[in-house]
Amino acid sequence: MIDVTNLTVKYKNLVAVDGISFAVNKGEIFGIIGPNGAGKTSTMECLEGLKKSAGGEVSVMGIDPMDRRKLYESIGVQLQEASFPDAIKVKELCRLFSSFYKNPADYRVLLARFGLADRENSFVKKLSGGQRQKISVVVALIANPQIVFLDELTTGLDPQARLDMWELVKSLRDEGRTILMTTHFMEEAEYLCDRVCLMVNSRIAAIGTVPELVAQAELSQKISFTAKNMDKGALAAIPGITHITEKNDGFDLYGNGRNLLRDVVVFMTEHNMDFEDLSCSKPGLEDVFLKLTGYRLEAAV
Amino acid sequence: MNAFLQMSMTEFRMALRNFIYMFFAFVFPPMMLLLFGGMYGNEPTAFYGGHGAVDVLTPAYIGMILAVSGIMGLPLQISEYRQHKILKRFKATPIHTGSIMLPHFIVNCLLSMIGTAILIVVGIGVFHLHFLGNVFPFLFAYFLSMACIFSIGFLIAAVAPNIRAASAIAYIIYFPMLFLSGATMPLQMLPKVMLTISKFIPLTYCVEILQGTWMGDPLSSFLKPILVTASIAVVCTGVSIKIFRWE
Repeated sequence: MIDVTNLTVKYKNLVAVDGISFAVNKGEIFGIIGPNGAGKTSTMECLEGLKKSAGGEVSVMGIDPMDRRKLYESIGVQLQEASFPDAIKVKELCRLFSSFYKNPADYRVLLARFGLADRENSFVKKLSGGQRQKISVVVALIANPQIVFLDELTTGLDPQARLDMWELVKSLRDEGRTILMTTHFMEEAEYLCDRVCLMVNSRIAAIGTVPELVAQAELSQKISFTAKNMDKGALAAIPGITHITEKNDGFDLYGNGRNLLRDVVVFMTEHNMDFEDLSCSKPGLEDVFLKLTGYRLEAAV
Repeated sequence: MNAFLQMSMTEFRMALRNFIYMFFAFVFPPMMLLLFGGMYGNEPTAFYGGHGAVDVLTPAYIGMILAVSGIMGLPLQISEYRQHKILKRFKATPIHTGSIMLPHFIVNCLLSMIGTAILIVVGIGVFHLHFLGNVFPFLFAYFLSMACIFSIGFLIAAVAPNIRAASAIAYIIYFPMLFLSGATMPLQMLPKVMLTISKFIPLTYCVEILQGTWMGDPLSSFLKPILVTASIAVVCTGVSIKIFRWE
């Protein structure tokens, strides 16, 4: 659906995007994640035809994004920090955007789907933050787009509104649309995105599905439990365990393998080792990011 | 419906919801007319060159209404749209960029015409206002003044980095313009220094041609103010288009 080759974006002398390449497949949720200033929005705006690239090639459904009027008939965009006029009502905003397209979607159906049917006559500025973001998605969908661009959709929303938004985004994908989104929330990317692209310092640091990225980063699972009088040396014989730490009867075992947890449990049961409070944590995107950059994204934002 | 029409209608509705704008465009000028008309009446006096005060003040107040729409309405709307990335959002749709910008001009033009109509109706109803000129020269003066004032507003919108700056510039230009251009007080009341300052205020020339054509003087006697207003319109519009930023 989207092909990007060696895309470079510059602001005067500052390089915001430095020769990146990636492709987005039809019907997937593709997430660009990274700290502020990594080049996420610049990349997005190039694909949306709102910014000129300084180099490289971009194709959105075979269209050059600079051919804006053709492009905007088939994509829908939600812009970061964009709002709507203070004095406009929901209904007026929807009618206005409907007039922009040859075959607009029925905004009443969209409002109902987003739980805003009773808000038609409200001023947009009187809505809650979550409702306003939903309106911005409704407006993006009036275009009946095959591709939906969502830039920092859930930033500033409370946890419940964020969860609602996640389900809505999934439902958009499930009806066959392609979604390109940016976020700096790791859990959001893990939950929503079929594939993610980690951007750091204007470049792509890693790209793939979350399990692929975790595997590439060669991160270990951590299995923790407490046990009294445990012989640390004996645990080292468990297949797949590479590293063990012990502190006040608490043990952390690190290792890899699809059946690591089962192997640990089977081994300890067979050897009559008593243990309590068993838990297993799998490495996630946050750990991948930490390993690639040396710092935590949540701390950087 | 056609995007351009829908955009214009929506902008019009939104402008009507702006209380400050509506007050200064629709209420304030007739209020001034009632106030000063009430004081001086509309009988011919030597002070107003043998004309009635209301007959002289009305075309000047028309200039004031143009200044409200052009200097306060237009730039504040556009800078709000830019600061809140509404212009950018509209750009991310298939509509022509003209359909984004032109409605602002059309709506403010329409609002200033409505304000003018209200003023004239009040003048006729309360003070037996007289129009002593010819319709076409007056309309020429009216639309030329509008082009001049709106182009200044457009320039403010193009130069101001945000809403605060735009409103500061608009107010700084609007209020001195009101009192020193003859739009509220007759210029003959001003001392020499202030009269000199008024020569640097574009609205002064607009008021001069509006008043002159209202009183029936031929356009040929206003070559200098016509040239000044037309030049301002051309230069400000050109510069604004050149430096205008969408975000």
